[in-house]
Amino acid sequence: MQIICVSRGSLSRGKELAQLLAQKLDYPLLSREDLIEAAIKEGIQVGKLETSMMKPRAFSERLARERDHYLAFSTSYLCSKILEGPLVYHGRTGHLLLQGVGNLLRVRVLADPEYRIAAAMRSLGVDRDKAHRYLEQVEEDRRNWARFMYGVSWEDASQYDVIVNVEQMNVANAASALVTMAQLPDFQMTPAARKAMDDLHLSARARVLLARDEHTYRAGFSVKAHHGVLTVTYLPKDMEVADHIQRVLAELEGVQDIRCTMATTNILWVQETFDPASETFDEVVEIAKKWNAAVELVHFAPGEGAEEATADLAEDDQRMVAAGIEEDVEEEVPDQGGLRATLDELAKLGRSGGGRYVHGERSHLLASCCNAVPYSLVVIGSLFLGKGSSAKLRMTRELQDLIGSRMKVPVVTADELRSHYLFGTRDALRLAGFLVLVLVVYFLVLTNQEPVLRFLSGTWTGGKTLNKLIVAVSVFLFVPVIAYSYGSVARSVMKLIKME
Amino acid sequence: MESVLLYEHFITLDLFVAAQVVVLGLIGGILSGFIGSGGAFFMTPGMMNLGVPGVVAVGSNITHKFGKAMVGSRKHSELGNVDKRMGLYLIVTSFIGIQIAVWINSTLFEGADAHGSGGSAAADLYISAVFICILSLVAISMLRDAQRSSSSADNTGPSMRIANFLARLRLPPYISFPIADVRVSLWILMLVGLATGYLAGTIGVGGFVGVPCMIYVFGMPTAVAAGTELYLAMFMGGWGALNYAIQGFVDIRLTMLLYLGSLIGIYIGVYGTKVVKEILIRIVTGVVILLCVVSRAVAVPVYLRQLGWVDMDPKWDVYCNVGSKVMLFAAGISGCLLILYHVLKSYRRRLRLQHRLVEARGGASERSHEYAATSTG
Repeated sequence: MQIICVSRGSLSRGKELAQLLAQKLDYPLLSREDLIEAAIKEGIQVGKLETSMMKPRAFSERLARERDHYLAFSTSYLCSKILEGPLVYHGRTGHLLLQGVGNLLRVRVLADPEYRIAAAMRSLGVDRDKAHRYLEQVEEDRRNWARFMYGVSWEDASQYDVIVNVEQMNVANAASALVTMAQLPDFQMTPAARKAMDDLHLSARARVLLARDEHTYRAGFSVKAHHGVLTVTYLPKDMEVADHIQRVLAELEGVQDIRCTMATTNILWVQETFDPASETFDEVVEIAKKWNAAVELVHFAPGEGAEEATADLAEDDQRMVAAGIEEDVEEEVPDQGGLRATLDELAKLGRSGGGRYVHGERSHLLASCCNAVPYSLVVIGSLFLGKGSSAKLRMTRELQDLIGSRMKVPVVTADELRSHYLFGTRDALRLAGFLVLVLVVYFLVLTNQEPVLRFLSGTWTGGKTLNKLIVAVSVFLFVPVIAYSYGSVARSVMKLIKME
Repeated sequence: MESVLLYEHFITLDLFVAAQVVVLGLIGGILSGFIGSGGAFFMTPGMMNLGVPGVVAVGSNITHKFGKAMVGSRKHSELGNVDKRMGLYLIVTSFIGIQIAVWINSTLFEGADAHGSGGSAAADLYISAVFICILSLVAISMLRDAQRSSSSADNTGPSMRIANFLARLRLPPYISFPIADVRVSLWILMLVGLATGYLAGTIGVGGFVGVPCMIYVFGMPTAVAAGTELYLAMFMGGWGALNYAIQGFVDIRLTMLLYLGSLIGIYIGVYGTKVVKEILIRIVTGVVILLCVVSRAVAVPVYLRQLGWVDMDPKWDVYCNVGSKVMLFAAGISGCLLILYHVLKSYRRRLRLQHRLVEARGGASERSHEYAATSTG
């Protein structure tokens, strides 16, 4: 089974290339237009959604639900087609619907701008300037679509395995080259990728059912599946739907268990070995309770060749198959790194946000973290266990920086959890120190109002202009100090009563 | 009611008045956290109702905003929500806007000295007029959006007529902002900066113009718009504080008392947004702002009489002032109570539901263990 996703710009000959590729490989062809047609039959207002994505407008809750429905339906539809056999899909960003599924061949097609302008002039019957503007507008709309739908840049080259420029290369030759490329073991579906797709398909079908039901369609859900266990997360404001989730999903084929978690946000916890009896577990749960967050676990086992650039071919081949989101064993799955036990414990506490295994490079870890999920915190626990302490520290810091820059959320190591987010001795001392400072300053100002006001009015002895300048500078310097000091007191108090 | 002003600008602050300023800060903070914008629309008229001259209320509030934005923008910056390049472009013209606002306010304050209450009637009238005009527009659009989203099945957000119109205009040069991922005409940027600065300097609510412009006109993501506005507010607040302080219009006591309430209130407000539906947030915000506008309008006849523009018995001043004050506090307090009611209700429901879920999971876990034991046995 193989999936090839061709990402095409307007009038860039991507459709032609996809058709030739499908013909040469004897694979069925699925286009974005087919997918849209199916979505419209499902009752999704794709036109309205598309228009709203392309204009700079506020994202209403109802529109967000429509987007969720569209994404879930498209994912489910695409997965169901892939499960029937190999497939060539051409559209905008089909590969982004299959986030977390490894071994896809992701192709981006580019064409000569002059060719595109000429094609636009022919098809639209307009002059060169208008054709150029039209193409610019279409590109802009597609950029917005990718950003609003998936939170990524459509033009980011790292989104694709290969970029084909048909400016010089004949489309037929490009298709032949892709046929050869498609034979590589990197782009064959492994059991691991198949398992990831089954999970994705299950979660997408579950989300579609929730979007169809009259009691649950208005609520926002995050649905994840892992080995047939569905984890459904919803917001406190939608808590009235909690009783309906089990009913709606009860008859979904392939579900072994349904776990519901009410959360306002998510915490992502990446670690190599989980232990529900560990101190880090208690700290993460304490923060999750405080923030009303769901905890999502990722068992990340950095690939053996991840850090060494030189690995022999045999190892390389093995790594190619192993890389990606993995769980090769179909039946009795051993609890690798305590993930399942920890998830069960979290589920008992009503905090489970689902979990998964990721083996391979750091890029696989990043690829597995969906951009659309609103994380508030990423916790990096003990990783790189096979390395020495200095290398472990360095590699953890590098991973921390990488995740922080890509996901734009605070990333902390397990050791930093307490000092950053839990009330400890340092916080108590900080609170006491700033409280004393604030009390003294407020006392001095409020018990000496007359001299303070005389100073502020600038009417004390001396040059009037100089006095005014001194007042302005004093206020300018004093205010941030008092705001920071009292702000620290307020933040510490809120941290203490678990409401920050 | 014409209060005696110390050093011509500052009110006498006893324990009761101080407590009222703290409550103003608390309500302003809750509303600010709930709405996601500054609470100046409540705090500035609130201080004016306590007898603070409008120009001092604005000066003290913009100084309060300076410190608050400084603390808040650091967090947004850590999360990558600040487009500093855009902030810097907007800062230049916003400073000019603030300068214009400070100049108008101070000139009116000094000029009306012969007639007004403590020399502030003309400035108070001007500030109230701008406040009423701008906030009426904001409140009405918010309520219209809320009404449209509740009645229409295919709601797609607020009207985009202005944004679409501006998008069609070709106004080079255009500047690209990589963090916000937008391209904006320099002229539109300058205009938005000027308007934001002017309103921040006049009534202290620049964010009501800045944030919607960044979202609707520039097409920026909401989180980046809020972060960038806070970054901008830090500079505008600093510049405004310097300018008002140099004129002697900053009452540091009021700024400090506002902090006491606002920095706690903001946490409560933010928590409220997590448990209250979006439509209710819009309705509550719209109604509270509208009531603040009406409350300010009730105080306007006093300024008109003080300027000699209407013939009104001075004994009516007290009724207007008390009416305005009661209406403002009633609006703020009822809005906050509504938010607190939802926060507490949701908190209780959450605990109950969490308990039920934990019990259900416990039961399921026991059943699955029993099943496993039976199977292996």
